[in-house]
Amino acid sequence: MPITTTRRRLLAGSAAALALPAFARAQGAVKPRLTAISQWSAGSDGAAITALGKKFEEKGGIWQHSPVPGFTTEMMNKLRAQIIAGDPPACSQLKGPEIAAWSKIAPTVNLDALVAAAGYEKVVAPDLAKLHKPGGKWIALPLQIYSTNMLFLSKRALDKAKADKTPVTWADFNDLAEKMKAGGVTYPIANGGTRPDDGQKFEASFAGISPAAYRAAIMNLDKNALEGPEIRAAFAQTRKIADWMDPNVGAQPFATNLKRFVDGDMGIMIQGGWAQGVLRNAGFKFDDFIIVPGPSDNSKPVFLLNADAFIFWQRSEPDLQAGQTLMAQLVMDPAIQTMYSQITGSIPVRTDVDLSGEGWSDGQRRTAGALKDAVANNQAVLSLAHNMAQENGLTAAMIDVLTEYVKNKTIKPEQAVTRLAEAVEGAR
Amino acid sequence: MPGVVRRLPEHLTIWVPLLLSAAHLVSFSLWTIWISFTPSTLVPVSGWVGLRNYTAVMATRNWKIAFDNLLLFGSAFVLLSLVAGLVLAILLDQRIRGENALRSIFLYPLAVSFVVTGTVWSWLLNPGLGIQKLVQDLGWTSFRFDWLVDRDMAIWTIVIAAIWQSSGFAMALFLAGLRSVDADLVKAAQIDGAGPIRMYRRVILPTLWPITITVIVIQLQFAISTFDLVRALTNGGPGLATQLPALVVYDLMFQRGLLGRGAAAAVLMLLILLAVLLPYAAWRYLQRRRASHA
Repeated sequence: MPITTTRRRLLAGSAAALALPAFARAQGAVKPRLTAISQWSAGSDGAAITALGKKFEEKGGIWQHSPVPGFTTEMMNKLRAQIIAGDPPACSQLKGPEIAAWSKIAPTVNLDALVAAAGYEKVVAPDLAKLHKPGGKWIALPLQIYSTNMLFLSKRALDKAKADKTPVTWADFNDLAEKMKAGGVTYPIANGGTRPDDGQKFEASFAGISPAAYRAAIMNLDKNALEGPEIRAAFAQTRKIADWMDPNVGAQPFATNLKRFVDGDMGIMIQGGWAQGVLRNAGFKFDDFIIVPGPSDNSKPVFLLNADAFIFWQRSEPDLQAGQTLMAQLVMDPAIQTMYSQITGSIPVRTDVDLSGEGWSDGQRRTAGALKDAVANNQAVLSLAHNMAQENGLTAAMIDVLTEYVKNKTIKPEQAVTRLAEAVEGAR
Repeated sequence: MPGVVRRLPEHLTIWVPLLLSAAHLVSFSLWTIWISFTPSTLVPVSGWVGLRNYTAVMATRNWKIAFDNLLLFGSAFVLLSLVAGLVLAILLDQRIRGENALRSIFLYPLAVSFVVTGTVWSWLLNPGLGIQKLVQDLGWTSFRFDWLVDRDMAIWTIVIAAIWQSSGFAMALFLAGLRSVDADLVKAAQIDGAGPIRMYRRVILPTLWPITITVIVIQLQFAISTFDLVRALTNGGPGLATQLPALVVYDLMFQRGLLGRGAAAAVLMLLILLAVLLPYAAWRYLQRRRASHA
């Protein structure tokens, strides 16, 4: 439903703005209303945001969510159109460095007072907080966290390999994959053929080999690190992974192969926690798979951070402003984050949420533990494949190289290193 | 003057929509050309960067691959759909029974959206699910047909799907051409003792030249602007193997948030299209002049 700014509404709005201090306005002089857009339309993601909307309505708000299915970029096209038309949603999904980029093209809401009131800053990982306060002010709020390099191990494939422990380093991982292959698992790696899928194989390899080199090369685009020995080793590891994948997947999403994965025809998925939500939503049980942190050569967990967030766009209507306040309070609420993550398979942004209780999986507990350890050891880095490390233009130029490398086995690791460095240079 | 007034409704129905769509086309094209010279990224901004967007786009691997693919896909698709359409038309022209039903069947793919065509063929051509698996399950276990996931052959899967979709269109035009061949010419050739092959080669096909040119031009402009078919069938993959210019434009504008570069790529596409259409227009002009002189 489009919002038309009628003269009467405008008058009412300015009258309200003049008559009441901001706090009172937000507190319920009007019925809070929220226009929101996101890519979450179906499956566990759709269920989670619908549940959030219910909570919003329970608090007396009017929830107007318009999902734009597909990749995040599809949602961004609608957002761009709305911003150009001067009618942005009160709140939209947006993540990573795009928050800073988009905040330059339209005014956003300063959430500092609300964040301070909720004491939120203390419980958010510092690297993550930085992405949501470009220019020092909170304009967006992270909602849930995933690590993109979690290992999903098929129980049946583990049985076939007669493996008794889960891999910690890449050497363990390669050993397990070989054992699976020898034990009759057709494809030790279960994969999709999409661009983020290919990117994840590389970033998991690179960050697992050296989180410090990953941070320098991928996050800071340091020229030496981009051509260093660690990145070459990462490409070599990526090639091994690619050789264990089913070459027939074409451009299918990873979810197409879930049954083969559970049946033990495929062994290991390198995925984010969202795969847990998808597996559960497809009717599979926790007994069918194990989730452990991605391989790390120094044995301490490496966390490839991917966080979904909401950005708040400036609106003059009092009901929308009240809706934004309510939404921000809900998003920061530990109970809401718990509800949301339990549906999608992510972990809460708040580091003070207790995951020992019912409703959390072992995989989620391990993910949360990994985040804590990784932050303590400075091994939490931002995901490239899921648009957290760089803006979309640069990310896409780098993923071009990665996806070609995964699909074209004639490219040598050294060549891939050169191509990646060139792609970075060309896109800057 | 009264004549003009009497024919006013006719003029209105023709000129108003025509002018409207022409104005849209021209103004948006001009706008895109303008954007291609600006530093626009997420949203359009004013400014002037000269040819920087063009040089940046043409230097990318994506564009080079897309351009090479376009040459290959364009020529293979146009040529093969021409041959397929002509053969179908000639076969249908033999006064066979059930011609109407057959004609509908061959024309039917044209009524299907390219996204549907692409999706259906992506399953048919998937080696783990489609034709390859079917033949292997039937007993020929060494049979391989994995073009969809083969970097070098993947572009041919798009050619196959595109031909399936549009050879019916070529057939319809050719059939109309075959039916409009002067019956006296055919009779004269028969009296002179020409066999069927000779008659097609020497008498009938030469009269089809104008239709052939039309089919080529229409198919070429389709080939240049192909987008939905590739997106559904391979999405430019495996890797970047089946990139086409329209995919690059979409990718730059809407996935990477680089409006200026996307616009530059779009203008390059327009130039390719002009390279096809201008010679066609010139040829038409010369033909008309020759006809009026004769």
